[in-house]
Amino acid sequence: MHRLRPASTLAIALAIAVVVLAGCSGTTQTPTAATKLTVGLGYIPSVQFAAFYRADQAGYYSAEGLVVTFQNEIDANLVPKVGQGQVDLGLADGTSVIPAVSQRIPIKYVATIYGKFPSIVFAKADSGIKTAADLKGKKIGIPGKYGSSWIMLQALLGDAGLTTSDVTIVEYPDFGQGAAVGAGAVDAATGFANNEPVQLELAGTKTVVLTIDGVVPLPGPGIIVGTSTLGSKRDAVAGFIRATLKAMNEIALAPSVGVDAAIKAVPDLAKNKPAQEAILAATIATWPPTGAAAGSKLTGAIDSAAWDQSVTLMTKLGLVPQAVTSANLVDTTFTAAP
Amino acid sequence: MTALTATRAPLQVDRLWPVAAAFAAFVVAWKLLVVLGGLPVYILPAPEQVAVRFITAWTDGTMAPHAWTTIVEVALGFAVGASAGVVAGYALARWRAVEQVLSPYLVAAQAVPILALAPLLALWFGPGLLAKVVICGLIVFFPVAIATMVGIRSIDRGLRELARSLRATSRRILVDVEIPGALPSIFGGLRVGVTLAVVGAIVGEWAGADKGLGVLVNLARGSLFDIPLLFATLVTIALLGIVCYALVVLAERRLVGLR
Repeated sequence: MHRLRPASTLAIALAIAVVVLAGCSGTTQTPTAATKLTVGLGYIPSVQFAAFYRADQAGYYSAEGLVVTFQNEIDANLVPKVGQGQVDLGLADGTSVIPAVSQRIPIKYVATIYGKFPSIVFAKADSGIKTAADLKGKKIGIPGKYGSSWIMLQALLGDAGLTTSDVTIVEYPDFGQGAAVGAGAVDAATGFANNEPVQLELAGTKTVVLTIDGVVPLPGPGIIVGTSTLGSKRDAVAGFIRATLKAMNEIALAPSVGVDAAIKAVPDLAKNKPAQEAILAATIATWPPTGAAAGSKLTGAIDSAAWDQSVTLMTKLGLVPQAVTSANLVDTTFTAAP
Repeated sequence: MTALTATRAPLQVDRLWPVAAAFAAFVVAWKLLVVLGGLPVYILPAPEQVAVRFITAWTDGTMAPHAWTTIVEVALGFAVGASAGVVAGYALARWRAVEQVLSPYLVAAQAVPILALAPLLALWFGPGLLAKVVICGLIVFFPVAIATMVGIRSIDRGLRELARSLRATSRRILVDVEIPGALPSIFGGLRVGVTLAVVGAIVGEWAGADKGLGVLVNLARGSLFDIPLLFATLVTIALLGIVCYALVVLAERRLVGLR
């Protein structure tokens, strides 16, 4: 065995260095692993979540380096899970975020999905109810004295100088208040702009809808994130919002894209496609904020001043035990200013 | 008399301290879990936070109206369900044909989760007191009926024959032989039934109500995100169950004696 000459040693060292450097260079060029996000949507899969389904199916999330998994939860379960980090992001009511943050659940609202507050009061068009003042002495069906619809009803009545004792409240815990309006068991009811009035119209009953947006700009459902997730997956959160807004804008221009995406995600929805089209149309109508120009781009913008007004209202209703301001509740850095 | 009192007092302390020690150990383990696990209040509040919320909820008037509503529902539901259960249990025990016809339905009704039935019952009977009483009654009925049936059947046949030989009427046999003989078993059913009555009231309130401890659980969890209040309400529900159970045991001791 003969010894290597210095020149050979140098050549071998150089070769090793080249291989190592090439390896390092190769490592930096390898695409980073996709970020996994678990996203909580509403109670059950629905055409209302078409934008999320579309963004997933069209590859908008994967283009942002995301692998998204959906699960369905009610706000009461979803909000603590997002705060804990068990679920990365969620679609939750702004009116849930305010008491939750007040109770020190570490979440932030990072993008508006429903620019208009979807919880409404509805009645038959021939009921004679045209404004909140017309509700005086009337029977109003509600699912229960809780949640966004109860807050909305109190604010709506308050604006007309009424309280809940000026009306007769009838509870429908099975959410049968839509059918009750249809059957004439109550004069009006609380519901969602994209649900009960749509169902009644589909059944041939003309309706009138009273909204809260002109009274108090209550924050509608939007994207919430746990503050720890916000720290660890900030880029992923930004990518998720971008991709979702892209799908929303696409569906706003061509709703059939959304219906198809929803049916692909939830095949059972195909059983009544006209109903899905009507529900999605009503959902799309709630996306732009009040006063937005027709066809204007959806930006997910958060109106901090409106949030502060909502905090004031909810504090009066006793729903904010520890003081909060919009600064505690929202993170506006992911979306354009309103 | 003084000597008797003096001998009884240490006995009661002897019986109480294991209960107190177990409770203290439970509270310490709970606290340790919160501290060592670093659990935030919205996941698991510490015992002292729940204790403070329990006191404030009772002193500021949050808890009392809800608790009273649930107590009324439990009392009425238990009375209806237990009465019907005793009558049905007697019929099942005495007439084989009744058992053959009704048993499959009773078992099937028991197998259906009350949670699934409750919304329907609320729809049929309205969101008021009646629906809660019916739900409570249904959940109490089965254990009481079965316990009564077992109790009546376990009575020595010789006792009945002896009573008949003494020309006792059916009513006298029922009052003097069958009921006293079946009481220990019936009270076994009542003990189970009374705790289920509390569960029934809460489930009934979840199906539709504007007041009651079940409503407060939902409000604390779903609208207010006030988890210490949720736990304080659960403690109240547990205490209600314990008090109801103790009342049945007390009645049992009076009517049957110590078991």
